[in-house]
Amino acid sequence: MAIQDPIVEGLAKGWNHIDASQVSAPLTLEADVVIVGSGAGGGVAAEIMAEAGLSVIIVEGGPLKSSESFNMEERRAYPNLYQQAASMKTKDKAIGIFQGRAVGGSTTVNWTTSIRTPDHALAFWAKEKSVKGLSTETLAPWFAKMEQRLNISKWEFEPNRNNMALKQGCEALGWEYTVIKRNVAGCWNTGYCGMGCPVNAKQSMLVTTIPAALERGATLVSRAKVAKIEYHQDKIFGLKAQALSQTLTPTGVELLFKAKHYILSAGAIHTPALMMRSKLPDPYGIIGKRTFLHPTVLSGALFNDAINGHSGAPQSIYSDQFVWQNGAAGDLGYKLEVPPVHPILIASKTLGYGQSHADLMAQFNQLQVTIALVRDGYHPDSQGGQVELTDHGFTLDYPLNNAFWEAARRAFASMAELQFAAGAEKVLPISEGMSMLSSWPQAKKAIAEMTLAPLKTIVASAHVMGGCPMGEDPKMSMVNSEGRSHYFDNLSVMDGSLFPTSLGANPQLSIYGITARNATLLAQELKLKS
Amino acid sequence: MNRRTFLVTALAGTGALALGVNLYSPSYVGVNKHLNSEHQLLFSLLVPVFLDGALPQTESLRVAAQNRTIDAIVATMALLPTDARDELEQLLTLLESRLGLLLLTGSMTPLLLRTPNELIEMLEKWRSSYLDMMVTAYQGLRELVVASYYACPEHWGRLNYEKPILFS
Ligand SMILES: Cc1cc2nc3c(=O)[nH]c(=O)nc-3n(C[C@H](O)[C@H](O)[C@H](O)COP(=O)(O)OP(=O)(O)OC[C@H]3O[C@@H](n4cnc5c(N)ncnc54)[C@H](O)[C@@H]3O)c2cc1C
Repeated sequence: MAIQDPIVEGLAKGWNHIDASQVSAPLTLEADVVIVGSGAGGGVAAEIMAEAGLSVIIVEGGPLKSSESFNMEERRAYPNLYQQAASMKTKDKAIGIFQGRAVGGSTTVNWTTSIRTPDHALAFWAKEKSVKGLSTETLAPWFAKMEQRLNISKWEFEPNRNNMALKQGCEALGWEYTVIKRNVAGCWNTGYCGMGCPVNAKQSMLVTTIPAALERGATLVSRAKVAKIEYHQDKIFGLKAQALSQTLTPTGVELLFKAKHYILSAGAIHTPALMMRSKLPDPYGIIGKRTFLHPTVLSGALFNDAINGHSGAPQSIYSDQFVWQNGAAGDLGYKLEVPPVHPILIASKTLGYGQSHADLMAQFNQLQVTIALVRDGYHPDSQGGQVELTDHGFTLDYPLNNAFWEAARRAFASMAELQFAAGAEKVLPISEGMSMLSSWPQAKKAIAEMTLAPLKTIVASAHVMGGCPMGEDPKMSMVNSEGRSHYFDNLSVMDGSLFPTSLGANPQLSIYGITARNATLLAQELKLKS
Repeated sequence: MNRRTFLVTALAGTGALALGVNLYSPSYVGVNKHLNSEHQLLFSLLVPVFLDGALPQTESLRVAAQNRTIDAIVATMALLPTDARDELEQLLTLLESRLGLLLLTGSMTPLLLRTPNELIEMLEKWRSSYLDMMVTAYQGLRELVVASYYACPEHWGRLNYEKPILFS
């Protein structure tokens, strides 16, 4: 059975798409609104702007790929769809970072978990970070709107065995757990969300908001990397971009984008990096600081029965038992989830080599993996990371300090306890020096004594937030609570870089809801002006 | 695996024997990329160590798997952003020069002349080093090799893993 590919069909119908790798001479394009990036923020902004009747250009650094090319192999997905072919790391190499780079941004490859911004986060931002007007009540209609738009609802299917272990462990221990809501329509439950949905069931920006904007006449320019924001006094007057080749290296052709209003949605890290490269005014030295990752530690467990963690909805159960236990500003909490288990992902995020690694890989189908996502950015000792420019790009300096390691140790213990309670035969905290543990009492002791350190303990993250925070006080924010620049009339930021702290929850729905609100307010204003 | 078969399989796969000669001539110090720009010889030594136990037992299959992995490594490296590729190039170039080897391993003996056990010893030293640079070198190589190996569907048999067939 052939799968309908809305991208292929739309292009055939005459959508405005320019693949910049094919452009051979400099090009200037103009619109009411230019949006940089086509991920969670950019996609939603594009649809809302286009719906309001404004002319829109979406500039995306990555390629336009669609279900036709999603072949469920990591070797194709990572280089095509991820930043740095999924090998991005922090400056000291202690944390691996996953971020999307294609039309649809990270939503093209994300795992579909959809969670509204936690009350704790909103309350903290209002109290400590001068954020105004974003409360559970005021945001509720925006979340509801996006939940409806993206078909977000509870995943009523039986969880896959990987998620089932999380559920059973929580049940056995009396811990809280929640059935996850997912943004899917007609999902085949194959488990390959992270490699681009091959059947277009995931309601990512690639198949929802971006096609809707293109349907309304928006222009999409792919393989065009915005390199510089040009400004004079309090006005942005253009964006300079480089056309990229098929392999995403600059072709030497320059593109210029002009608009009445500019929206940066390049994602946390890239929006701040672009601002820094363009030397935008930053009197309080805020840009690129307080970047947050939900640094995540992993615990492997071997079960007697087949787990097949590669198969079925990658995430369908989470536990918030330990996220806010000590209050928002107290010791760092952590959220328990499971990741999908695929060959490269697991081979690279485990330890060792040679026979021991081969033995672990041979038990691939028996391997259950639990992850703990540490909620960073609330505690005074949790300042996150800092984007720095390099000759060729950027790096993220993200020191892992004691406050984090204390949380990580507690998290390793919780994960082991949970996995044994769910029936694991053996548990392996993924950190150098640890071996397979065979019981909870043994694990408890070993984890209390284990050495945790950067480069020794595997830490990863698929959630990048912050670096261009919102708020009313310019001393701690770059944009106001509606995402409008404090320094430029015609500049907004609509992506994950807005968050003043991490969320303590998977970010996509927070970005969708907050962008829907801010883009709607902006569209109304721009309409009045035109 | 005895030392002779180790060397033979390492070299048979790459066709880089001639490069090896140049590589270890005394005048070769520092960057001279055209000699072996893709570091195939070096990887033909490291791949069997990193993947011991995962590579097929049968000689011809093992050689094929090694070659596929080296191709995948070369492809992966081409995709890295400039900063990361430069760093990796630097490390590989050091490993291919006698002075670099001295710096990284405390010995000038070319990797080509070391036994698998000596190579393991070298990796273990890096792995547990108190110097971040050494640990990073170990992890960078490890990740590159294992990821490239498991990228190839031909190597999934031992995992009893297959991607689903959605459309027939
Ligand atoms: C593997 C993975 C799994 C995830 N799973 C989940 C999940 O289950 N649930 C959840 O809530 N979240 C998940 N996330 C995170 C979520 O997808 C992101 O938080 C969200 O998409 C971020 O939105 P954004 O708009 O900030 O940036 P992105 O969606 O990352 O989009 C930014 C876009 O801007 C482009 N860009 C960057 N710089 C430039 C430039 N200079 N010029 C032009 N274009 C540029 C990028 O190529 C990219 O396409 C996951 C992420 C990954 C990578």
